[in-house]
Amino acid sequence: MPKIGVYICHCGENIAGAVNIEEVKKFVEKLPDVVVVRDYLFMCSDPGQELIKEDIRKGLVDRVVVAACTPRTHEPIFRRACEEAGLNKYYFEMANIRDQCSWAHWHDKEKATEKAKQLIAAAVAKARLLEPLEDRYIDLNKNVLVIGGGIAGIFASLDLANAGFKVYLVEKSPSIGGNMAKLDKTFPTNDCSACILTPLMVEVANHPNVELITYAEVESVEGTVGNFKVRVRKKQTYVDWNKCTGCGACLNVCPPKARVPDEFNEGLSLRGAIYIPFPQAVPKKAVIDPDACISCSGRWFGEEPRRTKDGKPILAPCEKVCPTGACSRDEPRDPNGEIVELDVGAIIVATGYRVMDKSNFKEFSPESPNVITALQMERLISATGPTEGKLIVPSDIPKYLDWKKKVEKGKEAKLEVRKPHTITFVSCVGSRDERYHTYCSKVCCMYMLKQAMLLKEKYPDLDIYIFFIDVRTPGKDFDEYYMRCRKLGIKIIKGKVGGVQRLPDERLLVKGFDADLGKPVELISDIVVLATAIEPNMDLKDLARKLGISVGAEGFLRERHTKLYPVDTLTEGVFICGCAQGPKDIPDSVAQAKAAASSAMSLLAPGKMRVEPLISEVDQKKCSGCGICVPLCPYGAIELVDVNGKKRAKVNEAKCKGCGVCAAACPSKAITLHGFTYEQVLAQIRTLARRGEVSA
Amino acid sequence: MIEGVPPVLNLTELAEREKEEGKVSEIIIRFGAENLMACMQCGACASICPLARVGFEWFNKKLIKAILVGMKEELLDDPTPWACVACNRCTEICPRQVSPFEVMFAMRRLMVEEFAIPTLAIEALRALYEYGHAVYMTGREARKKVGLPEKPPSTDSDEKALQDLRTILKETKLAQLGLIPME
Repeated sequence: MPKIGVYICHCGENIAGAVNIEEVKKFVEKLPDVVVVRDYLFMCSDPGQELIKEDIRKGLVDRVVVAACTPRTHEPIFRRACEEAGLNKYYFEMANIRDQCSWAHWHDKEKATEKAKQLIAAAVAKARLLEPLEDRYIDLNKNVLVIGGGIAGIFASLDLANAGFKVYLVEKSPSIGGNMAKLDKTFPTNDCSACILTPLMVEVANHPNVELITYAEVESVEGTVGNFKVRVRKKQTYVDWNKCTGCGACLNVCPPKARVPDEFNEGLSLRGAIYIPFPQAVPKKAVIDPDACISCSGRWFGEEPRRTKDGKPILAPCEKVCPTGACSRDEPRDPNGEIVELDVGAIIVATGYRVMDKSNFKEFSPESPNVITALQMERLISATGPTEGKLIVPSDIPKYLDWKKKVEKGKEAKLEVRKPHTITFVSCVGSRDERYHTYCSKVCCMYMLKQAMLLKEKYPDLDIYIFFIDVRTPGKDFDEYYMRCRKLGIKIIKGKVGGVQRLPDERLLVKGFDADLGKPVELISDIVVLATAIEPNMDLKDLARKLGISVGAEGFLRERHTKLYPVDTLTEGVFICGCAQGPKDIPDSVAQAKAAASSAMSLLAPGKMRVEPLISEVDQKKCSGCGICVPLCPYGAIELVDVNGKKRAKVNEAKCKGCGVCAAACPSKAITLHGFTYEQVLAQIRTLARRGEVSA
Repeated sequence: MIEGVPPVLNLTELAEREKEEGKVSEIIIRFGAENLMACMQCGACASICPLARVGFEWFNKKLIKAILVGMKEELLDDPTPWACVACNRCTEICPRQVSPFEVMFAMRRLMVEEFAIPTLAIEALRALYEYGHAVYMTGREARKKVGLPEKPPSTDSDEKALQDLRTILKETKLAQLGLIPME
């Protein structure tokens, strides 16, 4: 006969305020197999747990029922108490007499008391039928996949790799570095972005525990925590990376017809069809953009070369100039690239963001070359930008590039470009706007101040206006940075610009409102910088679907809990960090990346993971092999296997989450969900149906 | 500009004028409002300013903003700075230690230099020289009637103090400008 102990918690006033504890005790004492009934102010506190442990140790009870709050938070606590006192922890059952009882019936104490009695009686009825169970352990693969090679992905990879974990770092562009590589300097310290980023790019690429897979995208993800199978598509580079040394000889020979807007310079200059994203790229390898390549030699990869009259093959300029033969077109190349399969235990998503294009905002004359996004401004003032950091109006960049080409060829040329006298910044373009994004992009205030400060310090005669809705500078040393800008004489005007008009001389008429003066204002500006919103990458939703994680209404990846589990997702083993989770600056991205790496480590470091034994099991003697359960399982955990020539269902213990769908659906009652057996659940239902009378 | 419609504030014009005549903010700083640039337009000064309360247009916060965008001509004819009662509440409340009161007074100094002084102010300056008070006591008969000395116990009745004050005033720019008679 089981010896059941029932422990009733007052939860301070939460339960005792509505439930008559004494009356419940008297009722419970009479229930079959109940040998001990105790109550306490806080059963989960140390003295409360000690009551239970003491009774177990003395041999008074061998089944424990706690009537208290929710098992969601407190079941693990009481199970541990049972285990510590030497009782199998699955000899424990919990009755929630708070959430749906005392709280729900606070104003009807009699009925609350009655309901508490019935709930406890049902728990006792189940407790009589409990079986001892053993926890299971699944093996965890200790490799980690990091998706995205920006600053967040780099830091997550480095932390994991330094801790001894093997990391696959997958990046969709030919080089790692992400958006940070495009920045000139970084707030609030004005460090040069490249100076702090590029050493990390080299470090992560050379780390013995990191396998860098660039120009690649995640194709599919299967499996669950600890054992993911990921297929990654390495895109076709059309350049033999084993041979390419990154010398760059091919870059300048690609003909003008094959030139397209340069992604790294945000379209402010052109790049060839064959290109290396930027001089500090890691890995520094060339790729051919097949959409831009015009096959100027008249042949595609693997085709016979055309020949001159004397029979010599005609080679493409890139092919001809390449000193290592990396650009050879002799071999055919699969446009689909190559699939690699990775086995990993955890995945970190760090795919970053993109900025909204200016073309969305007709009111700001986006057709003017002198209306640019803030990221374009970064390129314009960067030493690695199209003008090597020389400040000119963007409409004169083509003139500048022509001049540069002539000078490089040794020709004499005069540089005639216009330098700006006035620069205007417009905040919240696409952010805090019901038509586009309702959220604040968080970094724009600071980067506008940064760009204004860098410009004003370098060119004190510049007139710089920043039109703000609100100046938001909540960060360490951020407001001090803002004050520095004000003291430099940067004109800060409260009020968003309503329109920008392109003038015939390529200057811009800016129409704004000064809320402090209460007056509409106008000014003529040489450059207008739009702080366009940070938004999720186009393919983020698709990636989220592959990973089984969700995105919020605004399109960024959703964390499990905003405050307590900020880098976890609803899919165990998948972590998120950086701007893929929401707009944030570099310090926050790095902090989150390190948090995600640490979470992945604490998951994988033990090598094994304890899982509750509350999963389904098939009695293959009863199973008819009908297969109804197979498609119903939401986790793909059931398959039909051959047992002595007959089909029988089999549950994959690593995949089963214990939802019970199969057990409920099985027509032969061949599936048992441990911890929730037919007998246990029916005993509970019968007791409730008989208003608390436990059948013998 | 559209005819019949009041002009908007043209920031480019202001900037160009500043390039010729010097930055208004720099002049105001030179005239004593050293911490002008720290203003973040929070409005605390205006919330307690008697001038803002009674409806003067260019009260402290707004005056500072106008200076920061380079307005000057537009401010010279305005009597607001002369109405400032120097209560100094703005200086006490300012979270950035701008001392808006100093800005008001620097504006007065600029106006004096530019000969842009409203009659009201000239009268006050004259009284200052004459009686030692910009706002001086009238109704001397009434004082006499209730048994008080004709002049209050201040500079007004202290011949030496009044002479000292006049000596100081004669040393200031005010004397050079010749706005009020100083013999």
